[in-house]
Amino acid sequence: MSTLIIIDQPPYGSWEGREALDMAFSLAAFDQPVSLLFCGAGVNWLRKGQDAGQVGQKSVERNLAAAPIFGVEALLADRNACHQFGLTETELLDHVSVTDFSPELTDRFNHVAFAG
Amino acid sequence: MIGRSLKETKTPANAGVFTLVITGAPYSSQAPQTALRFAQAALAGNKRIDRVFLYGDGVHLASSLVAPPSDELNLCEAWAGFLSENDIPSVACIASALRRGLIDESEQQRYGLSAYNLRAPFEIAGLGEWVDSTTSQSRVIYFHKGN
Repeated sequence: MSTLIIIDQPPYGSWEGREALDMAFSLAAFDQPVSLLFCGAGVNWLRKGQDAGQVGQKSVERNLAAAPIFGVEALLADRNACHQFGLTETELLDHVSVTDFSPELTDRFNHVAFAG
Repeated sequence: MIGRSLKETKTPANAGVFTLVITGAPYSSQAPQTALRFAQAALAGNKRIDRVFLYGDGVHLASSLVAPPSDELNLCEAWAGFLSENDIPSVACIASALRRGLIDESEQQRYGLSAYNLRAPFEIAGLGEWVDSTTSQSRVIYFHKGN
């Protein structure tokens, strides 16, 4: 049973993305295969050098850096969204794979859930 | 919303048993009401609902302090009645709940808070309950707030 959690909302505006991340970490903690896909404005989660102090939040960069350690199998970024938001591969966090968000991708998972 | 026109090509799990995950708040979104209508239709069609899981803003559905005008639908009361009548377990995620001021008696004591407001038969528990559903044979359906 493998799960894909999709985050399509930008970081910091609401807690939906963070709570989706908790879902992924929770599956990983129970040894269930899980990957995260960032699409739409959600690709901004993957931007290097985030400083969220000015908005009184912790950077999501550290949470994502911990994802592979906690057993999240893949951090995926939708190619079109990266292009739309001007994110090149060098500006993305480590361990991120750029991919195409397509039925072929989601078909590889038993369970697909959006963040909110 | 980008990429939300995914075409469902196969039924991902046994369509006879459902777990409902509600992430949209009552009165701010249609999610809890749509989920209730779905649940009523499922039972009427001899399907089973093994669990209702409230996550994110969906935890507001479990508040006992919701008091809309008497000629308006009380969604929290309607859901609680449906769950009790049909003996369906219902869980609000503890992290989502605490963050939004949805508290049961033991959490009130743990954090020294002034009150608790969890409505029966809802319970507060961890994401493990959701993990249990995703790894079971039930089909998990999400009711989000939408755009």
